[in-house]
Parts: sequence; structure tokens; C-alpha cells
Amino acid sequence: MTRINKPLDDDLLMRKLKNVLLKEDREQLMQLKEVLDDPNQLSEKVNPLIEQRLDFLKKNFPKEYRLVVNQIVEERLRGFQDEVLNIMYPVLGKMIRKYITHQFQLMKDRIDTTVRSTFSIEALKRKLKSVFLGVNESDLVMSQIDGPVIEEIYVIQRNSGLLLGSASLNNTIDQDVIAGMLTAIKSFVEDAFQRESEDLERIQYGSYKIFIQNYHSYYIAVVMSGSLSAKESDALSTRLSNFTDKELTQISNIDNEAIQHISSKLNEYFVQPQRNN
Amino acid sequence: MTSKKVILTGSFGVGKTSLFNQFIYARFSDRYLTTIGVKVNKKVVKVGDREISLLLWDIAGEVTQDKVPTSYFLGASGIVYVFDLTRPLTYKNIETDINYLKDLLPGGIIKIVGNKKDLVSEEQIEAVKNSLSVPVNITTSAKTGENVSDLFQELGTDLIG
Repeated sequence: MTRINKPLDDDLLMRKLKNVLLKEDREQLMQLKEVLDDPNQLSEKVNPLIEQRLDFLKKNFPKEYRLVVNQIVEERLRGFQDEVLNIMYPVLGKMIRKYITHQFQLMKDRIDTTVRSTFSIEALKRKLKSVFLGVNESDLVMSQIDGPVIEEIYVIQRNSGLLLGSASLNNTIDQDVIAGMLTAIKSFVEDAFQRESEDLERIQYGSYKIFIQNYHSYYIAVVMSGSLSAKESDALSTRLSNFTDKELTQISNIDNEAIQHISSKLNEYFVQPQRNN
Repeated sequence: MTSKKVILTGSFGVGKTSLFNQFIYARFSDRYLTTIGVKVNKKVVKVGDREISLLLWDIAGEVTQDKVPTSYFLGASGIVYVFDLTRPLTYKNIETDINYLKDLLPGGIIKIVGNKKDLVSEEQIEAVKNSLSVPVNITTSAKTGENVSDLFQELGTDLIG
């Protein structure tokens, strides 16, 4: 009997001992469970810690995570460059348009102020011109400010697109390649519309206009910035015709000497006068 | 310096633009971007003590040459006709194409070029050459650059001579 009851006694003793020893721990555990089970009590305990951490992040986020965020953004931008551009393009377009409109308004205001306050001979002449021509005086001032500038001028062999002469205000581009590409564009357009007697006469790219005057075996392309009125366009056409009559009709053989001669004359007639002004 | 207009033509995807880029910029890209319209660029080639400026017109590929706008060929001094050694479709019409180009450019220099030689063996190249009724002037690889400068050097020499 003794041998059988001994383990039971041991168990009982062990349980009692546990109860005594763990009583305090169990009470604490129960308290913790109550806190965890009750959202209000839990919030009371945890919220200050979260707020503290959030405060820390607000103050230190750029410092702590700048490198990681930069890396992620850079990777995303690189990976989705086309998509980003597609999204940005209309936004940029609107911003640029808004900026240009604003600048135009500022310029117009300045011109109006100038027109109202000037009593110089130049202003009187402009006023008379405005009365006789029936053109708004502001428009006259604007046309003087935003007049056309010849940036590049080329004489190009009509079929081959080879350059026969050129002059440039800034010398920034490969003129042989431009001559070739212009001829390719002309050929493409003229071929596409299949009008044998008609030629491409204008190309516009942003604020640049390419004015083309066609002749039998060559054509002259004038790259211009600024605005070009119909009257200025006619005047340019006449200047080109005069140049052709005086300088190009006498050339029978196109060699290096002829090309140099044409280039020098283009510079003399069209580019140099602008530099002098 | 003399300038000459040279047309790069042939079926699509034969490597005209790759030859053009390899010759002008010494670079090659595996990405295939079809040419729209024409791209013009130039390179100066030295022939003996003379220099010649080659104005290269890289034309969008067409299956047959009669589909290319004829105005592109006007005033050209030379034509580089390119086919792909690995694609028989690109040299199936070669005889008709060459005769058409000869009519367009009487007396002009025409170079027939088999490109992508890095993708085929010498035996396969010989077999392709023997199957054609027109002589192939040179075989090139725009990818490795093999024979590319030789092609334009030969062309420059012929144009000056």
C-alpha cells in the first residue's frame, strides 16, 4: 500500500508547492491577460509607445531612411522610365504652356507701358505707321521685338541632298547630315502626296521654321527662329531670288571651289548683316 | 573633299541599320528597332591620299525594292544592297531587285552584301553564294564588325576611281 500511494502524495505535494511558488506569477499573468483582452486597457498601455515611436520617425525619417527610399525611387524610376514620362509629359506640357502664356502677358504689359510712355521720334514714327496701316501699335512693337533671325541657310542639290553651300549663325550642327535629312523629308512628303508640280515649302519645329525655296536643280533652305509675317516671308523670298540670280546662276560646275564660294556668299548676304546689327 | 550619296537598302531586318551604326559609330545593339523612313549620316573615308565623304541613307527595309520610294535613289552614286545570310526570304528576289536597282541607277556602283556571317559557317556561306545568280561582293557581320569597314573602304575606292 505504501508503495502505491507514494507517487500520489508526491504529486499532491508538488502541486501545492507550485501553487505556493507560482502564485504571484500567475496573478501577474492573469493581470496581463486582462490587459491584453481588454482593448481599452491595451490602448492605454500601448498608445503612448506607438506615439513615441511615431514622433521619433517624424523627426528622424529623412535621416534614418533617406538612402533606402532614394534607392527604391531610383530603381522604380529606372524600371518604369517610359511610363513615368508618359504620365509627366502632359503635365510638363501644361506647365510650359502656362509659363509661356504668362511670359507673353508680361511682355505685352511691358510693351503697352513703353508705347504709352514714349514720346521719342521712333515712337512718333510708329504711331504714324500704326494709323496709316491700321495695325495695332503693340503689334508693331511686338514684330520689332520678335523679328525673324536666320540661324542657318543651305543651298542643297535637289535630288542627291548633297550640300552645295551653307552659312550658320552658331555652327552647332553637321550641315551635310541636315541637308541629307531635309532632302529625305522633302522626298518623302512629295512622294507621299504624288503632286509632281508641287514642292514642300515650309517645315516648322517648335519655335524654328524652315523656309524652302525650290529651283530646278537645287533648293535653298533657311532655318529661322522668331516669328515670320507674310510680308517678311515675301521679302525673304525676294532676297533669295536676288541672291540666286547674282551668285548661283553663273556657277556651271560644282566643285570644292564653287561650294566655298557659295558658302562665303551666303554668309555675306544673310548671316553677316545680322551679326552687324 | 568629294561628297557622294550612298543608299543602304534591302529587306527588313537584314542589318542595314546595324551596318550603318557599326560603320559610323563602331557600335552594335541586339535590340531590333525597325527604321521608319530614312536616316542620314556621313563618314569620311580615306582612299590613298584622297578623302571622300560618304552620305549614307539608311532606308526602311522593304520585301522588294520596287516598294522603296524612287526619289530616295535620285542623285545617288552608290547602293549597298544587304541580305541576311540566315534568311533565304531576304535573297529570294535578289536578281529582280538588283536588275531594278541597275535600271534606277545606270552606271552607279552596287555592292551586294551578305550580312550576319557570325551566325553561319563558311560552308553555309559558300552554299548561299553558289545558290545566287548574282555575285556577292562581300559578307559581313555588323555584330562583330568583321569586314564592315572593308565594305565601305571598297565602296569609297570604287566611287573615287
